[in-house]
Amino acid sequence: MNYKRPTELHEKANAEAMAVFAEHMSQFKGVCDVLRDIESNLSPIGNDALKAALLSPGRVIQTDDGTEWRHDVDLSKVTSVCHRRTAEGLEFAVVECLPLKSGEMKSVLNSGHNVRGVLREFMRDQRQVLNLWKDDVKAQVREHLDEKYPHQDMGIVVESFEIKMARSISETRAVAQSQSHGVRV
Amino acid sequence: METIPKTEAPPAIPAPERLAYSIQEAADMLGVNYFSVYRLIQRNKLKACRALRGKLLVPRTELLKLLATE
Repeated sequence: MNYKRPTELHEKANAEAMAVFAEHMSQFKGVCDVLRDIESNLSPIGNDALKAALLSPGRVIQTDDGTEWRHDVDLSKVTSVCHRRTAEGLEFAVVECLPLKSGEMKSVLNSGHNVRGVLREFMRDQRQVLNLWKDDVKAQVREHLDEKYPHQDMGIVVESFEIKMARSISETRAVAQSQSHGVRV
Repeated sequence: METIPKTEAPPAIPAPERLAYSIQEAADMLGVNYFSVYRLIQRNKLKACRALRGKLLVPRTELLKLLATE
């Protein structure tokens, strides 16, 4: 493996880039924590949603496509598990209520008849979003360092950002994998 | 007593309209966090393009479209 030892300049550039991208890193960590929490409670959340769908009517949420859903459980500040009754039985959805400055945008992120399947699909999609975020931050860090330290190889600093973010993403997956062994989901 | 004439600030020149915005700027304009913007992009609700070095940029027209439809 071609391992390069960081120089003093790399350390300085890394500290400076960490300050510039502090908000990205802080929000990224916060989102990973929320997703890890959902992932580690996937089975109980599924049970609670199913129970709520069967026992309580739940408040009505009308998504922007005109479909009416009934709220079951919250996943985060803007996402919740909802259900509706169809000819084929109960249908579940992860609904996002996004408070845009111009008004609330209500969309179905994932849906299906198996609540745990819906939650698993939701988590897979969220990890894809985290990867999109990671790649964008990597590109932004590279651009920033190219401008600040022209003609210097800052690859090692860019890589350290990528590793930190990739580790956070894989930690959410590790929870899912450890849970899938011996646990009925 | 001599009065010092007030120095008036030069009239503000309106900044030229930008064609595209970073994720941070888009999040600020929409009033949501960064993850929500990336989620909108991933779901194709907000179209983004990539700059030369791969950074995502959200065209102004796309932001206005999203703000107008809500």
